[in-house]
Amino acid sequence: MTSQRRPDSSSLAEVLDRILDKGVVIDIWARVSVVGIELLTVEARVVIASVDTFLHYAKEIAKIERATTEGDLEDLEELEIELRPESSPVSAG
Amino acid sequence: MTHRYVYGIVERDGNGRTFDLETTPVGEGDEVYTIAHRRFAAVVSDIETTDPERTDEDATRHDEVLRELVEGSKGDDAQTVIPMRFGMVFESDRALKNVLRGAGPAFRRTMREIDGCVELGVKLVRETDAEVDTEEIEQAVAERLEPLAESSVANDRFSDRLVVNRSYLVSREEREAFDTAVADLEAAHDTLLVQYAGPYAPYNFVDIQVGAV
Repeated sequence: MTSQRRPDSSSLAEVLDRILDKGVVIDIWARVSVVGIELLTVEARVVIASVDTFLHYAKEIAKIERATTEGDLEDLEELEIELRPESSPVSAG
Repeated sequence: MTHRYVYGIVERDGNGRTFDLETTPVGEGDEVYTIAHRRFAAVVSDIETTDPERTDEDATRHDEVLRELVEGSKGDDAQTVIPMRFGMVFESDRALKNVLRGAGPAFRRTMREIDGCVELGVKLVRETDAEVDTEEIEQAVAERLEPLAESSVANDRFSDRLVVNRSYLVSREEREAFDTAVADLEAAHDTLLVQYAGPYAPYNFVDIQVGAV
C-alpha cells in the first residue's frame, strides 16, 4: 500500500504568512472612490531580466497609457502581454 | 453603510451567486457571494467598516472561506481563486467593478497561470542534533516534487534547522500523487520533520498591486 500525507490547514502562522503579506493588494483610493482616478496595475513579482525584455514591456506599457489617455478601456482589456520564462511582465492600466 | 469585504477573484460565474459555505464570513454579513464585471467576479461578504482589524479569528475566516472555494464545498464545485490580501474592503460596488475592469488583464494572466491549482507548503526541519546534507536533501525534494507541481517558490529559511521551505502550485489532478510524494520524502529522511501545509489559495503565485493615480 502506498502511504500518503494529508496537508494540514490548522497552522495560524502559515495562514498569516500568506494573507497578511501576499495576495492582491488594492490601494485604498481605488477602493473608496471612482471619480477622477486612474488605476495603475503592477505585477510586482516581475523582474525585468534584460534590456530586450524591458523594451518589449516599455512598448506594451506605452500602448496601455495611450489607451488610458484616450479612455479606450475596451482596447485595454484586449491587450495581451505574453509571459517569458526568464522574465516577468509589467503592466499598467 | 455596508461595504464589501473581498476574499478573491474568480472567473465570472454570474452576478450575485451565493456560495453555500460552512465558514462564518469576515464582517457582519451572513453570505459569501459574487459581484461580477464582465469576465471576472469578486467573492465578497458584507462588512460595516472599510478598515477591518486584523484579528486571528478574522484571518482564519478569510483563509477558510478561500479554502472552501478552492476545495469545493457542499453544493459547489472547486474554484480557481486569485486571493486577496487580508483587509481589502471596497466602499462601493462601483469602485469594485472599476478595479475588476482596470486590472482585468493582470487577473486574466494570473488566472491562466493558476488555473485548476491550489498551493501546498512543504517545510523540512532537521531534528535538533541531526547533521544533514542540505544540498542532497534539496535535490531529493526537487526530484520528487517538482515534476508534480506547475511551479514552486522558495520561502525564507528563517531557522538554520529549516532545510527546505517551499510552496508548490499543484493542479487538482496531481494532489494525490503529491500527497504520496511527500509521504515518500518523509519515509526516506528519518532525521527530518516534514510539515505539510494547505491547501491554500495560491498566495505565493499571485503578485498584483493596483494603485490609484
